[in-house]
Amino acid sequence: MPDRGELPVRLEGIGKQYGRVTALESVSLQVEHGEVFGFLGLNGAGKSTTIRILLDLVRPTAGRAFIFGADTRRDGLDVRSRIGYLPGELGLYGDMTGADTLELLARLSGRTDVSQRRRELLDRMGLSGADLGRRIREYSTGMKRKLGIVQAFQADPPLLILDEPTEGLDPLMQDAFYELLTDVRRRGHTVFMSSHVLPEVERVCDRIGLLRRGRLVLVSSVDGVRHLAARRVRIDFRGTVAPPPTWPAGCEAVDVQPGAWTLRVQGPLGPLVAAVGSLPVADVDVSEPHLEEVLRRYYSDETAS
Amino acid sequence: MKRVTLVLAAHSLSRIRVMVFALGLLLAAFQFLLTQVAQFLLRRSAFGQLSAMMPDFVRSAAGPSALAFMSFGGIVGFGYFHPIVLAALVSLGIAIATEPSAEVEGRFVDLTLARPLTRSNLMTRTVIVFVVSSTFVLGAMLAGTWIGLTCCTPADAPRPPARLILSLAANLAALMVCWSGVALALAASARRRAVAGSAAGTAALAAYLLDYLGRAWEPARGVSVVSPFHYFEPAALVGGQPLGAWNMIVLVGTGVLATVIAYVVFSQRDI
Repeated sequence: MPDRGELPVRLEGIGKQYGRVTALESVSLQVEHGEVFGFLGLNGAGKSTTIRILLDLVRPTAGRAFIFGADTRRDGLDVRSRIGYLPGELGLYGDMTGADTLELLARLSGRTDVSQRRRELLDRMGLSGADLGRRIREYSTGMKRKLGIVQAFQADPPLLILDEPTEGLDPLMQDAFYELLTDVRRRGHTVFMSSHVLPEVERVCDRIGLLRRGRLVLVSSVDGVRHLAARRVRIDFRGTVAPPPTWPAGCEAVDVQPGAWTLRVQGPLGPLVAAVGSLPVADVDVSEPHLEEVLRRYYSDETAS
Repeated sequence: MKRVTLVLAAHSLSRIRVMVFALGLLLAAFQFLLTQVAQFLLRRSAFGQLSAMMPDFVRSAAGPSALAFMSFGGIVGFGYFHPIVLAALVSLGIAIATEPSAEVEGRFVDLTLARPLTRSNLMTRTVIVFVVSSTFVLGAMLAGTWIGLTCCTPADAPRPPARLILSLAANLAALMVCWSGVALALAASARRRAVAGSAAGTAALAAYLLDYLGRAWEPARGVSVVSPFHYFEPAALVGGQPLGAWNMIVLVGTGVLATVIAYVVFSQRDI
């Protein structure tokens, strides 16, 4: 049995080849206890393959994966007893009811004492008893997703692996899901989730990893990623001010008018403040960068290359 | 046996219970009706006429078993080797054995294998479902025959010995084991049930035709030994020969070997 102190997720040089196609290349990664880790990348970047390797559904051609210190291949049973998994593409039997599906999956988890937790989750996700009594073929996409979330969380596992968890959920249910994530994190559980929705990642994740063509090109805290982006600064002047012959370090002009400058500032604002200190400044507006801006740059690099 | 395997088996059995129950009932009724047909022909003393109507070349090709078939016991036992019955039972075995590929295709396997159970649990589940279902269907067929012979047949009718009916059922069960094993091996590596099912079904049909050819045409006899149907010899049983141990070993052995291959392949593949 692995030590409780072991990292929830550890990837060591994971590679995966499908014939001549490289799906993953030397991916190494660690996820800490109690954090929500966002796993990002464009379609086909290798997110789902990585997740499937963690679950031992796909076998890596190089490297090893560990969950709470246990090898996902050698100690698969122990590993999977500590995971709740929400697949990106839910495969449910249409002729089963929601209630039967949840019960079956709880029994396969080896857990029969989940009814209280399940009720709580069903309440939060807005699934009624009548909904659960219906056959899944009658469910909407969103209802299936909610059922998928309940089955992943109902055994209260210490690690949740979620593949595109809010796909198909309406905004209200997305909020309910984010609250659920906040709760599980507060209780010390760890979440490893892939997502396409950058505002969602920015809202719920502590750290992110970005995959590009099977390679991990960025691992950073969300705040750290924001710092990689330039801030947008608009300075309004009382009267006309001529722009300087050279801009302070880290500053780049976006739009320069006689009474207002709009600049992109990479790094600290000190040099800019010093430069405009003697000028008749009327107002300064600093727009904090969004995660999306940085990630879009990574994505556009990929599509361009 | 692990509890999760039984949970999975119960789940799969509940999903196919209507199909298995209906097939069992239908085949039991067919066996019952055959006892009544045999009784009807006996009353009319029609077995002799039927034998006389048989062309000489058929008689010589089929040997003494042809005459044995034109008897009360032959008609009663016919339900255990009628081509449609064979097709139904082999298809049932293939349908059950291809469940793993259906779960891969439908992605339900993502939810099951993300839980603390092994891939071999899924295979063992399928084997259990096959054993329970085929036992039920064959049991229903035997029950149909038994009811027909005990309750609705005159006491002086020349009933076939129980050993003959049980031998026919055992030979049929061995054939099902063989084809289910082959289908399981194909399903273990397939991503789609239709691929595994159609490959197994096509192989079964080709093997059946090859055996038919081997029995009817001397030059093809040597090649037909590769067909599992070559080792399914109900006519010989009806003709009074005992159930061949070699035939059973080949059929069950092929099924078991294919099942072992299925376990290995499924444990190694990417899902």
